[in-house]
Amino acid sequence: MIDIQNLEIGYKIKRKTNSVFTGLNAKFEVGALVGLIGDNGIGKSTLLKTLTGYLAPLNGTILIQTKNINSFSFQDLATLISIVTTEKIGGFNLTVYDVVALGRTPYLSLFGKLTVNDETIIENSLTSLSISHLKDKLMDELSDGQRQKVMIAKSLAQQTSIIILDEPTAFLDYTSKHKLFEDLKNLCLNEKKLIIVSSHDIDLMQKYITNSLHLKENNYFELG
Amino acid sequence: MKNSKFISYSILLLIILSLLVVSDLCIGSVNLFSLERGSELFDTILYTIRLPKVITCLLSGSALALCGLLMQSLFRNPLAGPYVLGVSSGASLFVAIATMVLTSINISGLYFFGKSMITLFSISGAFLVTFIILMISKKNKSNVTILLVGIMLSQILGALQGVIEFMSSSNSLKTFVLWGMGSVSTTTLSDLGFIFPVYLMAVIGSFLIVKPLNAILLNDNYATNLGINISTLRIKVIIITAILVGVITAFCGPIAFVGISVPIASRLLFKTSHHLHQIVFCLLLGACVVVFADVICQLVSSQFMLPINTVTTLIGSPVVMYLLFKSKLNMV
Repeated sequence: MIDIQNLEIGYKIKRKTNSVFTGLNAKFEVGALVGLIGDNGIGKSTLLKTLTGYLAPLNGTILIQTKNINSFSFQDLATLISIVTTEKIGGFNLTVYDVVALGRTPYLSLFGKLTVNDETIIENSLTSLSISHLKDKLMDELSDGQRQKVMIAKSLAQQTSIIILDEPTAFLDYTSKHKLFEDLKNLCLNEKKLIIVSSHDIDLMQKYITNSLHLKENNYFELG
Repeated sequence: MKNSKFISYSILLLIILSLLVVSDLCIGSVNLFSLERGSELFDTILYTIRLPKVITCLLSGSALALCGLLMQSLFRNPLAGPYVLGVSSGASLFVAIATMVLTSINISGLYFFGKSMITLFSISGAFLVTFIILMISKKNKSNVTILLVGIMLSQILGALQGVIEFMSSSNSLKTFVLWGMGSVSTTTLSDLGFIFPVYLMAVIGSFLIVKPLNAILLNDNYATNLGINISTLRIKVIIITAILVGVITAFCGPIAFVGISVPIASRLLFKTSHHLHQIVFCLLLGACVVVFADVICQLVSSQFMLPINTVTTLIGSPVVMYLLFKSKLNMV
């Protein structure tokens, strides 16, 4: 599904390149729940942003379904990979339903009209995270944990085979963390998705993940 | 927002707008009802004075509200608007150059261009500022920075304009100052023949970017992941707003307030985030506000024209403040 070959990640500011991590090789298939582990600033978020196509790789290649990530259009990539970050979403009258519905964006016609099929998918996504009762609430009325669930529901509505989550457990309490990972695990098994999660809750992750990618100092990494 | 709700709100706004338009046509220094219908005077007042003025109100109000909406969504900041970001100031400065500098050096043939010259300058000024802001927003992801830069830019442009005003002759200065107060009564039907096609294209253009505008409300990162090409969207919004603000400013002067406050009011009143709905609401509400302001202008004094700028601001700002206090603060 994802094949990372000799990858160098980082930022390009003007002509200066700021390399964060280099020489990364890894391969993950559908059905895997991959835990991405590493200290602050080691490049976890940079790697995830590169995998979603938001940042371009400095060197090396990322193959998705044997096709180079650079050859996908934004539109195609949107139906393959979805993301969940910890950035705060809100304002502009955005309700929970609106945000989850935006997950359908890549599939919608020019004017963004939802079909009956879209609505069913949105309802199902809300139900699978048990936040249906919140659907008419404004995003700004939610707690951080609830907001996190909404963003995950959005990525479910996007119906991609790869889901990337950047520290999804950051705002969750103990029970919700376990519930979240159980949900992710079920998604991997039942819906044949590849899920990549970064988190600092290593003990928690060990119980659920099938693979791990541990980024360490000096471009050293461990696959498990 | 449910479709039925959207339609009923739109119809309500349309009814209010038509009532305002009819009253604006009837009210003025001459009582239309005292004239014989079909007489020459009646026709002149109705068709060459009042009708173009009402149409100008409709077009300028809806266009500026639309620009405000597009900019606020693009920058995800309710403080954004053509005035705050310096787009109007850019247009103003260039019109100042056209009316005061170029007329003083007396380039032959300039006289014949007249209004189209001003329009051209106004659009280029609006374009230049929007382009600078666009460049900065590419380098710097923070919306606050972009807004601050916009405010700085409009200060610089205002200062430059001051320099030009200081150095120009009193005659051309007066023309410019009057223009700067904003007026909807100087456009003729043939001017509207130029404004309308441009307006129409820009409005159609903004309906075509409804989907990316919705997605960008999340943030740039999420929007990209939803298949939206953000730089293309930015360019489209910039082009639409620069053209609309440029044209409207050229003909009516820099009309303040409508651009920033109508989108805010529209979000507070109609409680929807979907741009297909918001664009329609902003167009209608913006038109209502400016036509209403013109009606008030006429009622206060039909002998001399109050600058429309003062009326939109004096009436509109308290309404927006009331709406803001009344509602949940984070909704905007």
